[in-house]
Amino acid sequence: MDLTDSEKRMRDGEKGEPVRMAMEILLALGKIYGAERLIPIQSAHVAGLSLKSHGIAGTEWAEDLANRGARVCVPTTLNVVGVDRSRDFDFPKAWVRDQLRIETAYERMGCFGTSSCVPYYCGFVPRYQEHIAWSESSAVVFTNSVLGARDNREGGPSALASGLTGRTPLYGLHLDENRKGDVLFKVSAPLTDLADYGALGSYVGRMIGTRVPVFEGIKGPAIEDLVCLGAALASSGGVAMFHAVGVTPEAPTVEAAFGKKKYEAIEISAGEIAAGKRKLTSAKEKKIDYVAIGCPHCSLNQLQEVATLLKGRRIDKETTLWVHTNVAMKALAGQLGYVQTIEEAGGVITQDLCTILGNPEALGFKTLATNSPKMAFYAPGSNGFSVWYGSAEQCIEAAVQGTWKA
Amino acid sequence: MAIILKGRSISKGCAEGEALVCRQPIGFNFGIDVANGVITEYNHELFGKSIKDKILLFPHGKGSTGGSYVVYQLAKNMTGPKAIINMTTETIIAVGAIMGGIPVIDSLEKNPYDLISNGDRVKVDADQGVVTIQK
Repeated sequence: MDLTDSEKRMRDGEKGEPVRMAMEILLALGKIYGAERLIPIQSAHVAGLSLKSHGIAGTEWAEDLANRGARVCVPTTLNVVGVDRSRDFDFPKAWVRDQLRIETAYERMGCFGTSSCVPYYCGFVPRYQEHIAWSESSAVVFTNSVLGARDNREGGPSALASGLTGRTPLYGLHLDENRKGDVLFKVSAPLTDLADYGALGSYVGRMIGTRVPVFEGIKGPAIEDLVCLGAALASSGGVAMFHAVGVTPEAPTVEAAFGKKKYEAIEISAGEIAAGKRKLTSAKEKKIDYVAIGCPHCSLNQLQEVATLLKGRRIDKETTLWVHTNVAMKALAGQLGYVQTIEEAGGVITQDLCTILGNPEALGFKTLATNSPKMAFYAPGSNGFSVWYGSAEQCIEAAVQGTWKA
Repeated sequence: MAIILKGRSISKGCAEGEALVCRQPIGFNFGIDVANGVITEYNHELFGKSIKDKILLFPHGKGSTGGSYVVYQLAKNMTGPKAIINMTTETIIAVGAIMGGIPVIDSLEKNPYDLISNGDRVKVDADQGVVTIQK
C-alpha cells in the first residue's frame, strides 16, 4: 500500500505501541481488501462494549491499550453498554463492576461516553460523502444509506484503530462503485408503523446477506422508520447499505440506485411483511413479564409516543416496561414531562443500556414483547427470552394487560 | 485422497481438524455462548451445536459489529474454531481472527461446499493460503 511519511511513522511504532497496533489492524484489512492507500476519516464510533461481547479477554485488551497511553485523534463516540449509570437495577455486582471497567478504559482513550447506538441523536451527525469508521451495525446502515456518509461495516476494534490513527483503508463502501444496488424490492405492502418497516428489513435481510437492497414504493417514512429498517437489515443479514428510491440521497431514481448494474426485482406484498413478523416471533406463552421499546435507542418522538400511549394508565403489576434511550434524549424527555408520565404509569426510561447488551435476564424475566426487529432477533440468543413482536401500541397494551393479544 | 485448494489468506496461522459445514452466515455477537462455543441463535442451522475446535466453513459473517470482540474472546477462551473458511470474509470476522490468532482463508479457487463435508479432516494453512481436504 502507498503510505505517507506520517503513516509510515505510525506503522513503525514512532507514535507508540497502541498506534502501531492500530496500524497493523488497518494495514491487514487494507491488504485483504486490496486498498491502494489509507484515507483520513472525520469520526469513529466503537461498538461491542457490552461485557457480553468484550468478556474479560476484551476488557484486558482495552485496559492494556489505555495503560499504554492510547488516545484517539478524531471525535470517537461509544456505543450502548450493559449498565445504566444513573441507577442500580440489581444486576449482579461483578457484572456492573466489569462493565464499568470497559467504559472507563475507552473514556481514558479520549472517547466520548455517549453510550448509545444512535450517536446521530446526540449531536454526532456525519455529513454527505464524509468518510467515517463507525461500527454498530444499525448505525453503519443509517450513515451510509440515509445520510450518504461513507462507512464500512467496521468491527469495534477496527473502528477504534481508525479513531487512534484518523485513517481507514480505502475499500468497500468508501468507493463509488460498491455503493450501487444489487436487488430491487418493489414494495406494494402498506407500511403503517415501525413494526412493518422492521418486518420488511428482517424479511429482506435474511434473503440478501451482504448485498445492497433497493426499495421502490416506500413513501414518506419518518427517520425512525428508516433507522428501524436498517437495524433489521443489518441484524438478520449483513447489510451495510440500502437505497430507498426518492427517499435516500444516492437514489433519486431506480437508475441512479443501480448505475449500470443488472438486477433482479422481487415483489414485497402484505404476505412478505406478515412472514417477516412471524420469523421475529418466538413466544407461545401469552403472559408477558417484560416489555422493552427502543432498540436502537428511542428518539424523542418515540419517547413522546410511549408517553402518549401510557398517559393515565397503569402497567400490570407483574409486568416490567423498559424504554431504552441515551442520556441526551432522556434529559430532554425529562424536561418535556415524558419521563414523569411513563414513570407514573409504572414504566422505566433507561439510559446507556439496552435489553440485548444489558442483563435483564438476571432479573428473572422470561417472555418479552417488543416493537424492535433487532431486539426480537437477538434476545433469544442473548437473553434467553421468547419474544412477541408487534407495534408500539400492541407492546404498550401488553404492558398494561400483562398479556399479548395478537 | 487429498484435495488441495488455493485461497486468499485473511488471518495467518495453520491448523488442522474436523470440518463443520454451515450454509448460513454466522453472527458471533449474541449468537454464541463464549463459554463453550455453542451457537445460541434462534432458528440457526447450527443452533445447539458447538464450533469449538472445528474447522468451520460458513459463507460470511452477519449482524452485530461487536462480533470482532467475540471472535477474540473465543480464541482467548479456547472455545472457538481452530480455523475458519469463508466464501468472503468480512471486516468484523477478519479483525477478531487477526487479534485472536485464528487462521482464516476465503475465496477458494473451487466452491468449498462442493468439496468439504461434515467430519472431513481439513488443514488450513493461512500462511501459504492453502486448504487441504482429506477424503
